[in-house]
Amino acid sequence: MKFGLFYEISIPRPWTPEKERTVYNNCLEQVKLADELGFDHVWAVEHHFLEEYSHCSAPELFLTACAMVTKRIQVGHGIVVCVPEFNHPIKIAEKTATLDILSGGRLHVGTGRSATWTELGGFRANPDITKKSWDEFVRCLPKMWMQETFSYQGEFWSMPERTILPKPYQKPHPPMWVAVTSPGTEIDAADRGLGSLGLSFAGFEEQEKKIKEYRRRIKSCEPVGAFVNEQVATTNFLYCHEDEKTGVEMGKRLGNTFNYLATQLISTREVFSSPSYQSLGLLPALRRAATGPDANEQQTEGMAYGDPARIIRAVKKWESLGVDCINFILNANEVVPQDQVMASLRLFAKEVMPVFAKKPGAQAAE
Amino acid sequence: MPLYGTLDITEAPARLPTLAHLDTEAWTLPKAEMMQLLIEVPRSSTDGLLPKAMHPALPSYVILAITRYSDSPVGPFNLAMLRLGSRAGAHPRGFLLGAVASTDAAAKELRTRWGLPVEGGEVKFLRRHDRVMGTVKKNGRTILDCALVNPQPVAGTDVQYINWVTAANAPLDGTTQPMLIQVDPKYTFYKAERGTPLVSAFDAAAWNAASIELAEPIVGTCCTVDTDLPRIRFVMDPLKPVFQGTRRIRESRADE
Repeated sequence: MKFGLFYEISIPRPWTPEKERTVYNNCLEQVKLADELGFDHVWAVEHHFLEEYSHCSAPELFLTACAMVTKRIQVGHGIVVCVPEFNHPIKIAEKTATLDILSGGRLHVGTGRSATWTELGGFRANPDITKKSWDEFVRCLPKMWMQETFSYQGEFWSMPERTILPKPYQKPHPPMWVAVTSPGTEIDAADRGLGSLGLSFAGFEEQEKKIKEYRRRIKSCEPVGAFVNEQVATTNFLYCHEDEKTGVEMGKRLGNTFNYLATQLISTREVFSSPSYQSLGLLPALRRAATGPDANEQQTEGMAYGDPARIIRAVKKWESLGVDCINFILNANEVVPQDQVMASLRLFAKEVMPVFAKKPGAQAAE
Repeated sequence: MPLYGTLDITEAPARLPTLAHLDTEAWTLPKAEMMQLLIEVPRSSTDGLLPKAMHPALPSYVILAITRYSDSPVGPFNLAMLRLGSRAGAHPRGFLLGAVASTDAAAKELRTRWGLPVEGGEVKFLRRHDRVMGTVKKNGRTILDCALVNPQPVAGTDVQYINWVTAANAPLDGTTQPMLIQVDPKYTFYKAERGTPLVSAFDAAAWNAASIELAEPIVGTCCTVDTDLPRIRFVMDPLKPVFQGTRRIRESRADE
């Protein structure tokens, strides 16, 4: 089992320059500590216009800063929006290659298409075609990274022959993923040989079904890149405390705040009727969970908060379902004070991570 | 935390519809034709229109809806509504700003049974192959002239209608008081089309939304549905956040 951090970079009102800077600095401090503690990944989203929920609109800059203050933790775009109005594919290829070089080959490239009208409408993107443009982008990116010269004539973008520079540090190219929120996207991931970057907080049963289908389909995939990246990552909240009750209370507060902010987004389906957005993505589960920012309702099962023993049980369950990596959200709207986030990371690394660092055989022998 | 509305509906309760009781019987409304146009509006133009209990949608948008109800307990009627996109706690809702019904009987029943702010007027719903058109007149003056241009077939499963919230006076705990009422029709789709919204006349003041300016069209739909106006299940304190002030007054329907 691998462990990562997952950043939306949530910033509460009022948005003073100092507050924005403080939150970004807090995140960097957490990443630096996570690197020292042995966490495997740091992921950052690309979101635009999502007030308080996510101020992470330039993740490549944040991830570059992460790479510069760390030595070994891998940095991941979670995800790059593969819609022409958001990002030109040439720029994606160039920026990711540059980040891979600067990080010394530590880059993972997550891909996706945006789920909110707030964002798609803001860029005047057509929701009907985002799946198709994503498909074109992910097939082009590996070629743009690997081929000396590249030209392309597609439905959503085109270019004459040029040499796209620089080339990534990793050979043949960085691992590629796709964000999985809507039902069925795990199949898209499997069929293309992409890692499944789960961004939903669904319960065990639903995740197990998705993972089984992903593992089954990826065996016969036609990879878009030079290799198959068969990995399943899921997202979770982390708050680890010596006292279970304290850990659960703060973890719930974190989860409720995140969920409540997330449910304020305008999902595309809510306002723009489109066959491309049949599902509300992660929102139904969040709405069930989010009765209010300070609610004390039962949240989705398997959350990684409480004392180390409780968290170990949750992680073991995810591991048994076939999850390879859990990425943790550490804060939302700064409801967890920075010193407590840091203490939580330290305790998790001391008490929980060693359990999952051992070989399966060694664990069984205990 | 998310922004809240600023409207205190308790300051002018006389302006609100009044219900005699909250035991409204449901209406079944078969084969209704519903045109909905969603249009973004500047956030500043919605100031003061949303109750304190609710969160604004970001970006701000309104729903212009014109429906032809071919059959109802008060006979056929057309209904036009203006709803403001918003959130009740975690859930998307359309807060009713104004409405016009084509018959006085429908206007009266909708006001007194569900608390919808409906007035009588002239509401036309016209279907052409290249567009679906709606016009609304009040006191002989056009207050809305709109169309769904170039309708193209989509699946009913592509369309999501969000529930309504209306402000009204109703008796609860022995006192008639201002409250928010959730109205949550269900829909069975027979036909669905999608097209481009076009509004050529809109008198915001006539919809109790004087400051609203229509800005960016999002999308329009026109659907034929079996629908209803159900029994009232949830009422909300207009001054408390919805997640604290919601009260269930009736269990959900068996099919929910």
